[in-house]
Order: sequence, then C-alpha cells, then structure tokens
Amino acid sequence: MANRVAMKKKKMPVFSVVNAIIFIVLCLIILIPMWKVLVDSFDLKTAYGMKLWPEQFGIAGYKSVFTNPSLYKPFLISVIVTISGTFMGLAISTLGAYVLIQWDLPGRNFFAGFLLFTMIFEGGMIPTYLVVRALHMTNTLWAVTLLPAVNIYDLVLMRNFFEGIPTALFESADIDGCGPVATFFRIVLPLSKAGLASIGLMFAVNYWNNYTNFKLYITNQDLYNFQMKLRSIIMGSDLPQANGGATENTVKNAAVIVAILPFMIVYPFLQKYFVKGINIGAVKE
Amino acid sequence: MSKKIDEQTQKNLAILKEANRRSTLRRIKKYRGFYVMFLPVFILALVFHYIPMIGNYYAFTDYKGIAGAKVNWVGLANFTKMFSMAAFHSAFWNTLFLSITKLLLNTFAAVLISLFLNEIVNIHFKKIAQTIIYLPHFMSWVVTASVFTLILSPTSEGMVNQILVSSGIIDKGIYFLAEDTWWKPMFFVINLWKDTGWGTIIFLATLSGISPDVYEAASIDGAGRFQKMRYITMPALQNTIITVLILNLAKVMNLFESVFVLQNDAVLSTSNVLQTYVYYQTFNSGTIPNYGYTTAVGLTKSVVGCILVLICNWASKKVRDGRGIV
Repeated sequence: MANRVAMKKKKMPVFSVVNAIIFIVLCLIILIPMWKVLVDSFDLKTAYGMKLWPEQFGIAGYKSVFTNPSLYKPFLISVIVTISGTFMGLAISTLGAYVLIQWDLPGRNFFAGFLLFTMIFEGGMIPTYLVVRALHMTNTLWAVTLLPAVNIYDLVLMRNFFEGIPTALFESADIDGCGPVATFFRIVLPLSKAGLASIGLMFAVNYWNNYTNFKLYITNQDLYNFQMKLRSIIMGSDLPQANGGATENTVKNAAVIVAILPFMIVYPFLQKYFVKGINIGAVKE
Repeated sequence: MSKKIDEQTQKNLAILKEANRRSTLRRIKKYRGFYVMFLPVFILALVFHYIPMIGNYYAFTDYKGIAGAKVNWVGLANFTKMFSMAAFHSAFWNTLFLSITKLLLNTFAAVLISLFLNEIVNIHFKKIAQTIIYLPHFMSWVVTASVFTLILSPTSEGMVNQILVSSGIIDKGIYFLAEDTWWKPMFFVINLWKDTGWGTIIFLATLSGISPDVYEAASIDGAGRFQKMRYITMPALQNTIITVLILNLAKVMNLFESVFVLQNDAVLSTSNVLQTYVYYQTFNSGTIPNYGYTTAVGLTKSVVGCILVLICNWASKKVRDGRGIV
C-alpha cells in the first residue's frame, strides 16, 4: 500500500499538484462568500466590494445585534425551539422506530404502512395549515415545535440503526423478564448513542434553520425565530438601529454571522456524526 | 365416513383458530407497552398528515375560511380555473425544470469532486477539504440567501459586481437576483455552492468500498490513472449515481424554501414554483384567501409527487435488488 502511494507520487506528481490546486480553489469558492460576510461584519466603514480585510475594525455591529431586544428575543426563541424540538423529535422517532423492529408484534405491519404512506402522499401546505389553525396552534410555538418533530425519514433512519442491535440481546432480555419499556431504556438507547447523536444533530440543525414553518404558522412578530428576524433585516424592512458607528451593512453582516455562529462552533467536533447519519440512511445494506 | 372426518377437521380448525386468537390476544397483552410507545407518533401523524390528506376535499369546494359561511361543492371548477391560469402552467413547468436541472447539475458536480477527492493522497489535506466543502450544507436557506444577496448586490457593497466592473467586464452592476435572465443561472450556482460538497459523501462511501487490489492489478496491467477511473471507478459508481437520482427524483415537487427566499417581486414570474405559487395565492394575494383553489393546486402537486414516488420506487426495486425507497 505504502509502496503504491510512493509509486503514484513518483509517477504523477503533476496530477497531485493540479488536484491540490483544484481543491484549494474549491475551498476558496466556498469560503470567500462567508469570509466576506465576516469581514464586513467587523468593518465600520461602508464596505467596498473587493476588500477581504476590514478597513476600520470594530465590534459595533455585534453590539447592535446583542443590545437590541428585538434581536435577542428571536435568538432566545430559536434556542428554546431547537432544544425542546430536538428532544421531542428524538423521543418520538426512537419510540416509533423501536416499535417498528418488533417483528412479531400484532399490528406491526399496519404501523409501518401507516407511517410510510405519509412519505408517499402528503397532505399539502394548505390543508395542513387549516388543521393547525383549527387546533388554535397558529401563533404558538407548538406549531413550530410539534410539526417538524414528526419526521418519518429520521424515524426510518433510527429503525435502520436499531436493526443493527443483535437480536440475541432482545431475547435474553425477554428471558430475564425485562419488559419492553425496560429493554428500551436499558439496552436499546445505551447501544444507540452514535445513532442518537447523528439523528439528534439532524433535528437540531433542522430546528435552528427552520424558516418555512415559522413563515406559515407565525405572524406575531414577538414569536419570530432568528431566521425570520434575519430575513426581515436583510430585506431591509426591519433594520435594527445601528449604533456606535456601525453602518447598516455592518449590522446586516453581523446578524448573518450570529445566525451561523452556534453551529460553526460545534461543527468541527461533530462532523463525523453528521456524516454517519447520511451513511446509515443511504448505504445501509 | 368422510362426513365424519370433515366434522373432525372443522372442529380442529375451530380449536386452532381459537388458540391462535388467544395467542394473539396474549401477545397483544404481553406487548401492550409497545402500543403505548407507538402512541405519540401515531397521534401526531394522524393529526398532521392524515387529517390534512382528508382536508384535500376542500379542493372540490369554494371554501374561503370565513366562519359560518356555507361551503359549497363546486366539483372540478377549481381545477378548470387552475388549468386556465398561465401562472399555474409556468409554476408547474418551473418546478420540474428547476428541480430536475438542479438535481442533474448537483449530482454531476458531486461525482466529479468525489473522484478528485478520492485521489488526494495527503490525509490531512483531504480531511480539511472535506470539512470545508460540507460546511454550506448546514447553513439555512435564509442565511444562504442573505449571504448571496449581500455579495451579489449591484451596489458598491456587492463583491461580485465590484470585481466585474473594476476588471472591465461590465460597465455597471448587474442585479443578479432581480433580473429574469440571471435568476435561474444564479439559482443553480447557489445550489451548487450549497450542496455539492455534502453530495459527495455517498459517492465517497462507494469509492472507499472498492478494493485497492483491483487498482493494483490494473496498474500491473499497465493502466494509467484515467484508464483506472474510466474502467474501474466509474462502473462502481454507476449504481450509486442511479440510486441518488432516483431517491431525489421522488422529491422534485417539494421545491419551496430555496426558491422562496431567493425570489423577489421583480422575478416572480420566472421563479415561481408550485409551492410558492400556492403560498402567494393564499397568504399574499391581497384578497380573501381562496382555500378551495389553492388546495386544488396543492392536491395536483401532491398527486404528481405521489406518482413520481411510485415510479421511483418501482425503478429503485429494479435497480437495487428489490430495495424500494419507501
């Protein structure tokens, strides 16, 4: 193997160099738009397009974001909805997935069909909206917490993960008089930490980034999450007062950075779980 | 004689059935914990998926959401109206054009990049490159749209326009996201930027599954890097590519958020897809929402989507040894 690599290096140095250049360019293409936003968020002068470094460094943009109650409240709502929603989503999908692996449970096939059918045919935007409205859930955080928690795709991923647990463990638990609930908490959950992590993270990202549900069900500005707020700031309809020398543009850029910051901090440490999540779904054999 | 045997058989069958029923009951009793555990997802799916499915009958009424007003059955009137609307036709074809083109472009780019990524020898460089190209996938569409609205802005703050103007390619800034000719290309570019990297994961998984021995043998036979790519790597990827296309083809009708956050009034007619059309007609039409009509449009979308899922499921079973997508 090492030999082969060495041989490759000797044989095709040109290709390796070209390949490295391709990826450096690719990474720059990905990073420059983000970098530009970061730079402009720290620049107190109205930013000129081509600068890649702040001309007049200052954190006034961030001060405007964090001292403005109309901005930190949406941030708090995002945090609350993300945390409670992730727990709810995980609870619902792990319980559901656990039932779907009980092959001799009377009604198991009906349950599976019941859930899978929702992936084939969907109710649609307006009928769902009318149901939410009839339940008096519009303009409550229930609508934006409960609806994304029922994610059949994630539930199926969880089931795929559970199927990897050796059945012998379930049998011995049954013989030892361990009931379904105890088995779930003592065997299934402890053995599925990696799966819980990746699916929990998917839920968390989903909730944090949620815009469509808020747009549909929330019209009360006091219940906006950060994405909704960010959207109205960027569209210019709702710009918070820029103070301490920050320009309008500085505040806009700072708000974008605040929206991605929490994720950027955890992402490098959790990347493998995200990748794992896609692999249990797609490459399952 | 035979009658007696028949009677006996009948009796045995009855006993068996009874035993079976009892054992089913016993199993239900034994497993009652499972039914409780299934309750949350059952109730939520019932309320948020099945009741809306039934609610689609509004498509055949003139329901306008006014409390106390009588809801009249109008048959297919909403659908006749829908087919007479130019906006519906453009939204329908736009949905298909935008999502299928996006799917093909993104898949092609992801395959290409994963092939090159697979050739990187330095493991640290590979890790860093992967981390960076996966990143945009996790940004919300609102953030993505914000970033591109800022850098594509026609004013002096827009980086892209500044570069183009100062290098003399154009005379004055182009409003990329608000011009009919530019909106669709920009939509594809932004989608490529956001999801190509993430799309490579599944192809990389396939590539790492190819045994190095095969490449070794090919090298001994004198195959070069590109020959190996052509005769070993590409055939191995073929199945994964088809799988990815099928899985995503089933979802093409659902296009909403990415279009919604990137469009604006200036390009509404070129950018509208079915879901955004339904949204604007219902919540932003300036009059009393005509739920009957917009439900009809939504139902059409769901039916086409359902047919696509079933076709893709059938195709998936053929291609993937009996594994469906649902």
